[in-house]
Amino acid sequence: MAASLTSSRLAIVSGKGGVGKTTVAAALALAAGRQGKKVLLVEVEQREGIAPLFGLSHLGYEEREIAPNVTGLSVVPDEALVEYLYLFYGIRYVGRVLKGSKAVEFATNIAPGLRDILLIGKIKEAERRRTGGHFSFDLVVLDAPPTGRLPRFLEAPRSVTELVHSGPIRNQAQGVLDMVSDQERCQVVLVTLPEDMPVRETADAVETLSKMHIAIGPVVVNGAFPEVFTEDLHAVADDAPATLTADAERAGIVLSAEALAELGRVAGSHARRTINQQDAMRELAEETKLPSLTLPYLFAPRLNRDAIEQLATDLIEQGAVT
Amino acid sequence: MTALEELLGDRHIIVCVGPGGVGKTTTAAALALRAAEQGRRTIVCTIDPARRLAQSLGLDTLDNSPRRIEVTGSPERRKVELYGMMLDMKSTFDAMILDMTSSDRAEKIFANPFYQHISSTLSGTQEYMAMEKLWELHEEGRWELIVLDTPPTRSALDFLDAPNKVTDFLEGKFLRMLLWPYLKAGKTYLKAVNFGARTFLKVATKITGSELLADVANFFLAFEGMYDEFKDRAKRVHDLLAARRSGFVVVSAPQEASLREARFFVQRLAAEKMPLGGVVMNRTHAVPAVAGLEDPRALASRARAAGDGKVLAPALELYASWRDISLREEDAVKAALGDQAHVPVWRVPDFADDVHDIGALRRVGEVLLGPLPPRAAPAAPAPIDPAAS
Repeated sequence: MAASLTSSRLAIVSGKGGVGKTTVAAALALAAGRQGKKVLLVEVEQREGIAPLFGLSHLGYEEREIAPNVTGLSVVPDEALVEYLYLFYGIRYVGRVLKGSKAVEFATNIAPGLRDILLIGKIKEAERRRTGGHFSFDLVVLDAPPTGRLPRFLEAPRSVTELVHSGPIRNQAQGVLDMVSDQERCQVVLVTLPEDMPVRETADAVETLSKMHIAIGPVVVNGAFPEVFTEDLHAVADDAPATLTADAERAGIVLSAEALAELGRVAGSHARRTINQQDAMRELAEETKLPSLTLPYLFAPRLNRDAIEQLATDLIEQGAVT
Repeated sequence: MTALEELLGDRHIIVCVGPGGVGKTTTAAALALRAAEQGRRTIVCTIDPARRLAQSLGLDTLDNSPRRIEVTGSPERRKVELYGMMLDMKSTFDAMILDMTSSDRAEKIFANPFYQHISSTLSGTQEYMAMEKLWELHEEGRWELIVLDTPPTRSALDFLDAPNKVTDFLEGKFLRMLLWPYLKAGKTYLKAVNFGARTFLKVATKITGSELLADVANFFLAFEGMYDEFKDRAKRVHDLLAARRSGFVVVSAPQEASLREARFFVQRLAAEKMPLGGVVMNRTHAVPAVAGLEDPRALASRARAAGDGKVLAPALELYASWRDISLREEDAVKAALGDQAHVPVWRVPDFADDVHDIGALRRVGEVLLGPLPPRAAPAAPAPIDPAAS
């Protein structure tokens, strides 16, 4: 069982919608970059999630350095098709004509899964790419579709091999299948929140992916609240105002009833959250039998580069980036 | 009557739209439960493959037909008619085709390997089938309120454009032009085809192999003559959604990324002249300013210094953090929707406990609308007029 997020060259980062997949993918890329690895951080489906985290307005199909040792790339199907046609058939002119025309949309629609094949195909190319006798990238981090759509995304090559019986696209699909099912080359990193429903969805995803014989790395628990209370959590959750009143008296701090009530509400709800969080973490461990890493809840409504750097430090300190 | 009371009490269709991960399914379920407890026969239809609604309602499986949801704990032990279902794309697509054509021809379509993939993977199909199902439920005439959850579409465009996109695809003018040798007589006519089409075929054959192209050609042949029907269906659902008795609810969370999308939904719905009910803002953290707590962090230091602040010091620090968040969230909401003064924003706090059972869903309704009003004297159910507009 892989205990590190970087034990394979390709890390496919996925999770339920809203759990912070992109944030974790970016933090992982930064962390590995800081450790001296050459990293490619990839997004698909033009989600435009990575660019704002790095203070950029846009991330394109041109690979560009977005942080030390970190290259960013947004894979777009029609660009990938044009590149594919050129690389494999030397077709340059048609590629250019096709690009931007409706033809690509059709080509990718008539062969269901072709769109996904092109996307993963491009990632496979990056994973295999060599410069001067070495792999060009030590780590490729994919900000992948959410867990609900991940199996279909990863199964795309399989459905293409079922539908298309010969020709280069079949070989391409087979190549992608080989990569995805090779535990040395590829693992899925699932991101979750320490809450009941995302944990359940993570457990479901683990089951589905295991059946597909896809390696799963440690689970990243994102947005964990700090455990600030040393007292019994249930006592705080159920009766915070009483304890607060006593604390305040002893510390000689005078607080109005209104202030005590509000502090009681905040403390009580935090204690309740902490209890639920501990339950969710326990359930995660029991249901998935996977090691996990924890990233803190960031008290910030907007994530920027500084925040991601902080999360990268957290990943390194937990020994997740080796 | 508030805008939300009017929405839940009078409308016939509520469509919840919004980005993924903001609690759209939960919101749809909570609104449906509230309407049902107010005495309306309600169905909530979800599309989510993660089966979150099923979990929310304590049901293990939902399927493509309406199922009664057991609602426990309603005040006055009132009879609550709440139904749930989960959209199955493939069987909805099959049913639609059976409805549109002879069973012989339908069987031919079903057997086509290309159809089998298209019916579950073509982008936009999920959205289109949701609308088809919506029409079906509307036609049944037994529902006073239909609450439709929608796929976590990347942009509002996808949802509203889906029927046209799918219809365009099936009509396939462009592809049919390029594929006509296959459609007519196999590839012997290749020579006669114009240069563009010939090049396309060459490339397409290279990419996909020739068998797939034959399947595709047969698929389009089978659909011949059905395009107008597809268009008519898309049009009537569009009209139904634009009608006065429908209402869209945009679901969001107070983070910048979600708000950006919510703003886009709001603008797009307005541009399409679709009836927008309002925005449900989930997981908000409203922490008020309180006299005496102007500098909570300094108080926390004092409590720590006194050595007795085991609960007080962390409580003060938490208050400080959440108060900051609360202010910044309000700023973000104002920045995204401040210029849309006509759009009501309904806030739902971030509950400490997960919202996944009837009791928690009821609490969401209470937060939005206050306690359930006592049941009025039994009145005749509101007449459902399918032609209302």
